[in-house]
Amino acid sequence: MRPALRIDGLTVRYPARREPALADLSLAIEPGERVGIAGRTSAGKSTLALAAAGLIPRVVRAAVTGTVVVGKTDALHATADALLGRVGIVFASPADQLSGSKPTVREELAFGLENLGVPRAEMDPRIDAVLADLGIAGLADREPASLSGGEQQRVAIASIVTMGPGLLVLDEPTAELDPEGTDAVATLLDGLSAAGTTILCVEHDRAILERCGRNVTLDGGRIVEGTPARPAIGPLAWAAGRGRMGATVTLDRLGFRYPNGIEALRDVSLEVRAGERVAIVGANGSGKTTLAKHLIGLLRPTSGRVLVDGVPTDDRTVQALAQTVGFAFQDPGDQLFERSVEREVGFGPRRLGRTGADVANLIDAALTMTGLPGERATNPYDLDRSVRKLVTLAGVLAMDPALLVLDEPTTGQDPEGVERVGRIVEAMAAAGRTVIAITHDPAFADRWFDRTVVMAAGRTVDRPRPGA
Amino acid sequence: MTRAATGYLVPGRSWLHRRHPLTKLLGVAFVLVAAFLLPPVALIALTVALAAIAVSAGLVRPVLRSLRIPAVLVASIVLVNALFYPGGSDVLVAVGPLAVTREGLTFGVVSAGRLLVVFVALMLLLMTTLADDLLEGLVVHGVSHRIAFVALSAMQLVPRMRDRVDRILAAQSARGLAVDGSTITRARALVPLIGPVVLSALVDVRERTLALEARGFGARWGRTAYRVVPDSGLDRALRIALLAAIALVALTALFGWLR
Repeated sequence: MRPALRIDGLTVRYPARREPALADLSLAIEPGERVGIAGRTSAGKSTLALAAAGLIPRVVRAAVTGTVVVGKTDALHATADALLGRVGIVFASPADQLSGSKPTVREELAFGLENLGVPRAEMDPRIDAVLADLGIAGLADREPASLSGGEQQRVAIASIVTMGPGLLVLDEPTAELDPEGTDAVATLLDGLSAAGTTILCVEHDRAILERCGRNVTLDGGRIVEGTPARPAIGPLAWAAGRGRMGATVTLDRLGFRYPNGIEALRDVSLEVRAGERVAIVGANGSGKTTLAKHLIGLLRPTSGRVLVDGVPTDDRTVQALAQTVGFAFQDPGDQLFERSVEREVGFGPRRLGRTGADVANLIDAALTMTGLPGERATNPYDLDRSVRKLVTLAGVLAMDPALLVLDEPTTGQDPEGVERVGRIVEAMAAAGRTVIAITHDPAFADRWFDRTVVMAAGRTVDRPRPGA
Repeated sequence: MTRAATGYLVPGRSWLHRRHPLTKLLGVAFVLVAAFLLPPVALIALTVALAAIAVSAGLVRPVLRSLRIPAVLVASIVLVNALFYPGGSDVLVAVGPLAVTREGLTFGVVSAGRLLVVFVALMLLLMTTLADDLLEGLVVHGVSHRIAFVALSAMQLVPRMRDRVDRILAAQSARGLAVDGSTITRARALVPLIGPVVLSALVDVRERTLALEARGFGARWGRTAYRVVPDSGLDRALRIALLAAIALVALTALFGWLR
């Protein structure tokens, strides 16, 4: 029987990169098989996914040798038409995969069918069947932009599955999802597998990988046996602090209502001591990020008060609060603009009035903590997204904050990256600083934080750390 | 928060909402041609007509609110022309070396009026038309769906950009960037803002390209349509009338008959 996907001697080299992303890689996947692709950041996993989906070199430019055959079609040289309906690809970021112009989920799914040239009369039955199969029939008439991340990702998978590809490629489909969304995607993949779809799934999440029939691990663009030995990350230390103390945080019956009337926070009270590590967990849309934005004054309470070091945030500007509070945003693209990592990391401390050797020390300490001393001169945009995220974290650390606020610091990180972020939390707390992190990863919260606050529907439920 | 999918749309069922997107697009084209080619007196008639349309479609408030967008541009056009119009001789008010001339003021007001009239016509289109309907409306009438998609992206550009700028502003002020204060402070704040805006817009284009390719947008064979945009006899008649009116205005201007 002909394999669903056959890759022979594939080498992919991106312009302006020294090392090839994939080096002489060979892999065959039988029809109906489910194969998980594991490996560290920069191992070539995403490149493999793009090549299997026929997007290299047609859409993503690269120098390619070797062969990629999907069914009977040469994917490296095929036109878009030839691959349409044979192979589909799903990416990590749910919102970016939706067309952005459709008022309902139903029409979002219809978009792919329109491109396939499916007659109008056949569209609704096909859409209804896929939505029912994937367990999201209830979303049919909702507006895609109003859905949670987990729901959007299921819609994104549904809109590819509607097109009926024999081979489904997924590139970290659960990287940005909460545990509930991850479970839903895992169940959905089980169903597709049972129905005979061939699946190639790039993932870090163990639960997803374990449900695959077989796993392949990449390292340095090659397939390796077993798990590649990775350098364990030992305890880190914050070297630039000058005996600065952590800040206290008090939320006093905090309430927040967005101008459109949505009540995101209701009567939230919370005390965080100086030097304490607190994780805030909860499903997508439970109000975690809204809460975090109050800590640096990006949002102002509509009722109740927020006190940092005993002072209400109301009468202080965001820039003034930045002297005390370091806030690392979820999306690295919002913060990076300098032409080198070193300049980027130095931006925050310079804005806060630090100068000369002081700034140099802060940059050194921040780059050491994030494992980036070798990337000083690199342009941040030449780095992988997960590494760019570490650059933004370094930029915040270099501001030597008394209170460190991290919004989803582990999304898109491989296990090594997650460990590093955990060590950074530990080191900042050891230096006396307060750390508050928003995360959808309960294991990360349990391992690295003193206590976990669970949020649901804009309220908090305090939960002691298991075993503590 | 503006959502890119709906943009400026004000949901409703008014007669203007129910017109075919192409009819409304031709309406905007007519206003554009008439405002710039006809003598300034025509602006009064156009303003009255647009006001009547806004009232009948129940859009007076949203239209008035949207006028904030071009406010600075309009004010500066009037001011700069009133003061510095070349060849202005009839001085109305003079303060020191600055003089407001009648010719300059007239030219400024007329130019600003032309811009405003076209802006309001465009807003009436955007407020009553789902971007996707415009796309399908264009495709049904033989426009390549790729070109229609460019038009759609253009309609969504401003709301998308505004969301992005808000996010980046928040992220950079959290790093201690002063974003309000004196003019010099604000000018200095531009680099750390424009950098991420431009770069993330480019990344966005790449990701959207991949997403569209994944959904088969690059296919060259016959495309079908899910969305049915209702087209009525009234719409067809209106479109013929608008086309005729555009042609008439263009010809009038061409031969200078009104001069």
